[in-house]
Amino acid sequence: MEEYAREPCPWRIVDDCGGAFTMGAIGGGIFQAIKGFRNSPVGVNHRLRGSLTAVKTRAPQLGGSFAVWGGLFSMIDCSMVRMRGKEDPWNSITSGALTGAILAARNGPVAMVGSAAMGGILLALIEGAGILLTRFASTQFTNGPQLSEDPSQLQPPPFSDYRQYQ
Amino acid sequence: MSPLSPYLNLDPKYLVQDTDEFILPTGANKTRGRFELAFFTIGGCCMTGAAFGALNGLRLGLKETQNMAWSKPRNVQILNMVTRQGALWANTLGSLALLYSAFGVIIEKTRGAEDDLNTIAAGTLTGMLYKSTGGVRGIARGGIAGLTLTGLYALYNNWEHMKGSLARQSL
Repeated sequence: MEEYAREPCPWRIVDDCGGAFTMGAIGGGIFQAIKGFRNSPVGVNHRLRGSLTAVKTRAPQLGGSFAVWGGLFSMIDCSMVRMRGKEDPWNSITSGALTGAILAARNGPVAMVGSAAMGGILLALIEGAGILLTRFASTQFTNGPQLSEDPSQLQPPPFSDYRQYQ
Repeated sequence: MSPLSPYLNLDPKYLVQDTDEFILPTGANKTRGRFELAFFTIGGCCMTGAAFGALNGLRLGLKETQNMAWSKPRNVQILNMVTRQGALWANTLGSLALLYSAFGVIIEKTRGAEDDLNTIAAGTLTGMLYKSTGGVRGIARGGIAGLTLTGLYALYNNWEHMKGSLARQSL
């Protein structure tokens, strides 16, 4: 992905929904194609037909479930951005946990807690990977120490504590 | 017009060159390509489908249960209809948009150009692939449907342009 930046907030919901649908539909399509191929009766023709049927029926459904997840996640994320007035990884982690909890709401409180933990941990992993990647990428492009003739002119850089998220 | 003194020996036209220019990062396009818009298109179609399907489900549920008294089973039945129809429409429209975006991106990358021809070709191919299990007749029907829809969209998109050129021709 070249220079893919996230959209500003209300539109981010639509964007995330679409991204999640794409992910689910394509991933589910591949998975279901293999599964349908293996579960069909013997014969290449039968197997291909079974694979096609499985993809046609299941891939859009899986995409839809992913889209619900992504849309709800993004809605909570945007609400938190609005309420807290800042964007940081905690927003994503909290909204992942809340999304998991809400979508498991009909399975009882125990399932809600488990699902929330899953969502939170998953999003924490993703955010952590993003931060690590940004750190790693930023170490590649440092300018090196600025050498000065007079040591008394040295000053600490003004934004030394600046950490870039996302 | 010019705020500068006429005694200055320069043309003020050179000072204000173009106010509508943005500074873009090197290598960036001026408009967003199909790939950057693909997720937005898919998400928009999916959400539109969900909203439309929910309304359709409400209509169907009310029609189907109009003989029943206002009670809990009726509510549950209507609610089931709403969720089922909503999911159905969202999935259908979402996968159509996914196919359309994929075809659009592929066509754009292979042609190396971006215009309304891409839109029409992507729409036609989407219709053909979506109906490809229905035999030749189904493929033709899907292709024609896609061609019509995207052709109308392209016409709508170029309406001002075309009206201008027609007026210029008649003058």
